[in-house]
Amino acid sequence: MTQDWSSTFRASLTGSEQTTCSRVLRGGIVALVGPSGCGKSTLLRAIVGTHPAKAGKIVVFSGKTREHGREVRQPGRDRGIVYQKYSLFPFLTAQQNVAFGLMLDESSLPYRFCRPLAWRSLHRRHLDQAAVFLDKVGLASAANLYPAEMSGGMQQRVAIAQALIMRPEILLLDEPFGALDEAMREELQRMLLTLYLENSQALKKGEKPPYTIFIVTHELNEAIFVGDRVVGLSQYWNWQEEGAATCPGATIVYDQKAPVFLPDDERDYGQFAHQRERIREVVFNPENHRRRNEFRTFWKEVHQDETQRANP
Amino acid sequence: MIRQPIPRQWAVALGILSIVVLVSCYFFLSHRQHQKNPNDKTIPNWTQLKEGIGKATEVNRRADERWVVVDAIATAKRLFLGLLFGVVGALVLGMLMGCFAVFEAFLYPPLALLAKIPPTAMLAVFFVVAGTDTEMYIAMIAFGVLPTLAQTVYLAVKDVPDELQFKAYTLGASHAEVIWNVIFRQVLPKLLDSIRLQVGPAMVFLIAAEMVVGDVGFGYRIRIEFKKLNMNVVYPYLALLAAFGFGMDFGLNRLQRWLCPWYAKEGK
Repeated sequence: MTQDWSSTFRASLTGSEQTTCSRVLRGGIVALVGPSGCGKSTLLRAIVGTHPAKAGKIVVFSGKTREHGREVRQPGRDRGIVYQKYSLFPFLTAQQNVAFGLMLDESSLPYRFCRPLAWRSLHRRHLDQAAVFLDKVGLASAANLYPAEMSGGMQQRVAIAQALIMRPEILLLDEPFGALDEAMREELQRMLLTLYLENSQALKKGEKPPYTIFIVTHELNEAIFVGDRVVGLSQYWNWQEEGAATCPGATIVYDQKAPVFLPDDERDYGQFAHQRERIREVVFNPENHRRRNEFRTFWKEVHQDETQRANP
Repeated sequence: MIRQPIPRQWAVALGILSIVVLVSCYFFLSHRQHQKNPNDKTIPNWTQLKEGIGKATEVNRRADERWVVVDAIATAKRLFLGLLFGVVGALVLGMLMGCFAVFEAFLYPPLALLAKIPPTAMLAVFFVVAGTDTEMYIAMIAFGVLPTLAQTVYLAVKDVPDELQFKAYTLGASHAEVIWNVIFRQVLPKLLDSIRLQVGPAMVFLIAAEMVVGDVGFGYRIRIEFKKLNMNVVYPYLALLAAFGFGMDFGLNRLQRWLCPWYAKEGK
């Protein structure tokens, strides 16, 4: 990684930093797309904190007013992650997997060793809570199965429940449905839309929306269908015009709203063919040398919406 | 057909048949040998074996103890303590090496070298350093199995995907919890498998050492009785060793299934 690359990355990092902390975007589902090698995974790892950014910073806010936010330097329980592979602990049943975070969070090793009786009753409470979350993702009957006994789709659902039980400020999904067949993939996409619906209902009641989701995917249809905002990261942009001799790195070239669907809406990819072709053109085409902020209009759209709402 | 499964009754019947064939072959050979030489002691027949078993199990006139009992206690104690120290040492070293690059760089080279020296060849060193008491046997077995077990643990730690470790951190785990609740849990079944495989070598080291310097124990008794060509004592002792090894194997397998029920399911 060159220095130049990092400095451009700061710009993109700053861009996505707003996605995670902004008041508007709490409760949103941001889909990140981009050609291979553009740094999607690098960005995600930086947000998780396992491979901190070399320049720029990631800041997580919890939504209180006048908050400075916490800068990300290592993985922490305010950011949940679901990987494509190895998403569950193989030695725990579904229910234990979901309860695992509660155990780590609410008890310590010495506590579990020194006060086994107290720990046992606490553990029972954790398992009850886990059962509720398993029910939420539709897997109440699979509570006692080990990951090896579950299908890929079930594993990913348990993994999502496992991350959600911690009530993270943001849930990161790294190509979570990449290894699943189409039917299973659709089911899980609808599950994410159910979470989004809960967000909208919470917003209507004036509550803090519970789920903020950041999903990395290579599937454009999935990005538009699931996300309410699509961000395109790409190394194809007009760096020649900015005076660079070689490409300094990937940056955000596309950032727009995506249509919002309800969990039981029909999934018709034809509806958003226009947006899909636009993204393909702007983000994935190596011949593309447009100005990099031509399609970064998300915030403008948000402000337009707000003014419209203010003066109907 | 290749890999075609057979009914369970068939499998059991065939297993029993093979043992029956083995035993019949032995008695056939013994019978033929005794026809040639009625006083033969190399392949004892049933009467001779009974006499030998009696000798091993009755209270001995001179020592006022039963051979098989004192031998079994001595050998088992040496083996268990040796394995215990070896396993604990290997677990600590292997976990340190797998989890921390400093320990990996420092410990891996000597361990890789020591693993290549046959422990039976090291017997002389152990005799000189640790004498010929129980401690010597324990040290020998422990050092004999440690390099292999430590490498198993080390590789098993390396096998744990980074994702699971990261995931644990995002769920609020401390470093100690990642080591104990995530890494160790996945190392344990592989360690138990490796112990199962190391029981054999451990017994080889032990019997060899007992044959050389022992004054009690299976290896010692087999050597003494063999010198007197009392094969009717040697064969029952071998059968006991086989049963003992089989029991250890079975027990460790059961232990693994009990402690790590998930592991067997993963293989399928």
